[in-house]
Amino acid sequence: MKGLWRHPFYLFGFFFVLLASWSPVVAQEQYPSRAIQMIVPFPPGGVADLTARPVAATMEKILKQPVVVVNKTGAAGAVGMSFVANSKPDGYTTLMALSSISIIPEADKLFARKPAYTMDQLIPIALISADPTIFVVRADHPWKSVKEFVEAAKKRPGEISYSSSGVYGTLHMATELFAHAAGIQLNHIPYSGAGPALTAILGGHVDGLASGPAVIAPHIKAGKLRPLAGWGAKRVAALPDVPTFKELGYDIEFYIWAGLFVPTATPAPVVKTLRDAVRQTVNSAEFKTAMEKIETPIAYLDAPEFQKFWDKDAKMLAAAVKRIGRVEIQEAK
Amino acid sequence: MAETLQNLALGFSVAFQPTVLLYAFVGCLIGTLVGVLPGVGPLAGISLLLPATFGLSATTAIVLLAGIYYGAMYGGSTTSILMRIPGEAASVVTCLDGYAMTRLGRAGPALGISAFGSYIAGTVSVVALMFFAPPLARFALRFGPPEYTALLVLGLLVLGYMGSGSMIKSLAMAVLGLFFGMIGIDPMSGFFRFSYGIVELGDGIGVVPVAVGLFGIAEILATAGQETPPQVQKPRLRDLLPSREEWRASFAPIGRGTVVGFLIGLIPGSAHIISTFVSYALERKLSKHPERFGQGAIEGVAGPESANNAAVCGAFVPMLALGVPSGPVPAVMMAAMMIHGVSPGPLLIQQQPELFWGFIASMYVGNVVLLILNLPLVGLFVNLLRVPYRILYPSILLFCVLGVYAVNSSVVDVWIMTFMGLLGYLLHKFDFETAPVVLGVVLAPMLEMSLRQSLAMSHGSYSIFVGRPIAATMLLVAFTLLVVGLKPLLPHGTDWRKRLGLADRSE
Repeated sequence: MKGLWRHPFYLFGFFFVLLASWSPVVAQEQYPSRAIQMIVPFPPGGVADLTARPVAATMEKILKQPVVVVNKTGAAGAVGMSFVANSKPDGYTTLMALSSISIIPEADKLFARKPAYTMDQLIPIALISADPTIFVVRADHPWKSVKEFVEAAKKRPGEISYSSSGVYGTLHMATELFAHAAGIQLNHIPYSGAGPALTAILGGHVDGLASGPAVIAPHIKAGKLRPLAGWGAKRVAALPDVPTFKELGYDIEFYIWAGLFVPTATPAPVVKTLRDAVRQTVNSAEFKTAMEKIETPIAYLDAPEFQKFWDKDAKMLAAAVKRIGRVEIQEAK
Repeated sequence: MAETLQNLALGFSVAFQPTVLLYAFVGCLIGTLVGVLPGVGPLAGISLLLPATFGLSATTAIVLLAGIYYGAMYGGSTTSILMRIPGEAASVVTCLDGYAMTRLGRAGPALGISAFGSYIAGTVSVVALMFFAPPLARFALRFGPPEYTALLVLGLLVLGYMGSGSMIKSLAMAVLGLFFGMIGIDPMSGFFRFSYGIVELGDGIGVVPVAVGLFGIAEILATAGQETPPQVQKPRLRDLLPSREEWRASFAPIGRGTVVGFLIGLIPGSAHIISTFVSYALERKLSKHPERFGQGAIEGVAGPESANNAAVCGAFVPMLALGVPSGPVPAVMMAAMMIHGVSPGPLLIQQQPELFWGFIASMYVGNVVLLILNLPLVGLFVNLLRVPYRILYPSILLFCVLGVYAVNSSVVDVWIMTFMGLLGYLLHKFDFETAPVVLGVVLAPMLEMSLRQSLAMSHGSYSIFVGRPIAATMLLVAFTLLVVGLKPLLPHGTDWRKRLGLADRSE
């Protein structure tokens, strides 16, 4: 074996490797020249993952380079988001994030800890989808409308409970926005993820839940849960009889949205390539069918509009986090 | 009944379609391999393969993923038995007696009984799933935070029966495990505890790096530290199958493991790993010779290995009957269904009979496939022991690092594994059992979450644990166990520990 190493072929191979490692620098103009990573900071099977997979599959064909979805989970998404925020800004590391991207830095501020990342470390490429959450109660409860629910909650402040995907998570935020707008106090029971939160209401351990329409619809159809209102600007197509909070006079809007981000210092031409690729992706029939199957509405916004949308959304969430403040632990009373 | 059989016939007509059959086989094979790889468990395996199912039909995708799930549960036992490296978290308990059996030259029977137990457990649980899924699922949903807390308290008491050495030492190890379990985000307030600015520690210490570190890495270090290298084993053909006594001894544990595993698996959110610990403790408690446990008792392999396969089936019950994501793996499988345009929910059985009954039938088929696949593999795997340690151990170390990294693509997990390996080595030197540490790490976050959720539900009143029948019953059982457990501490007790002590001294 040793003799082989002296063979000139290996010298040739060595140069080849050197050349190969150089080429990305040389080929800066022809982005992308190798596989692009799409980091999903949540586990497989969640909203972010289910959105990222068809986006990646379609972008791959447009960019003629593999787009690999990598689930880098941990700390409610903070691990994956901080990974992308601190990665090399060359367009080969992208992030498929959810609304919670704006919540985590605020929660960090609240506890005066070193932030995992800051929002100015990332710039948006495009908004892909936005699903308004729906507020449901158990069907065996007497409340038929938001009005009845609010009245009941006013009579028994802090008694009616709701589950969420976790403290300062999207489902917690949505419900607190409503509670604040209605001037009621609810008992928050956090769970470790949206799945367990759904299980809790189905088992009758909590009274209410905010959830994405796709997940909740089968249980509404089966008569287990009753929808009271949605957080969207418009009614949800799958649940046309459910009013929006806006219609009912509450000025709140909340979406679990998914958008693509890159590190801030990414060169403008690279950003442009990615924006074009996403635009083509969302317009492709393949992508539309995939999103229909997971019952998630496409809500495409290109970078400039998405930036505006994001700023507004982040401001609203920051205010909500501040209002909730550090969670008062009830049992400690 | 007749209707069920008719439906089952429909299911088998789906399951015996060549493509479905092929994917059931592929699923079992991949699952076994995923299970064998240290660290990579069913969740990582299914997650990695989820994108590959996009091109399949809904039924084949689910059959494939389910095959990976129960295949991994079986495969995980292989490395536990042969090398004391848990292939996935639910095989930690199998390390104790499975590896001891390998040391006694009984690796073949341990693997064989594990395959057979998995088969029985899998098949019996599918029958239960088929006939009783809806009522069982409704019962499982009644497990809210208070019931869960009570169950976990029961689980904690199990710790007392884990170690084969000193009770004080095993309790100390359990407490150490509970301490490790406190690292991470406070589930009620969002505060980071003991994370020292490392974002990855926000989620706490994972079970996988701890288990692989404390068992696998520690074992490698301990072996490397021996003055004379361990004898390379040369298993003979006739030692591959369990003997008649071994069969007899395993029969009841397989039955009990199946029941325990299935029931614990039903409860949403509960981990298979708990079912294996409970089964182990149960077998040991019921055994006439508990001192044999940890020294190569086949009951200690047969029970837990059956339990973890039955738990897989149990976890499918709420998922299929009610559309409830009863754990991380069923959640991924539900996502797979959604990708194929099937919305999992309470109406799944009515709306998608081919999917439901095809799935049920494929599990019968899959369990047979698993048995056929694995019995010949026993011979192959046992022969791994012939590989000289200087080649075997570095390769295992490599696979441990790869496996642990692959779960979350996290280097921090690899560091945790390394640290746990060193810790495990030291504990080994000082004669501490490490299994209770793993159980502590598993139980601490779950217990904390459910206890605090319960108290949030009741506004701080502990009466919630007494007022709910299931929780109250379980706490009563726990209390009785505790009292029974204290009995040997009374003077004049002729406890087995004492007998063991006498035997030791007379040697």
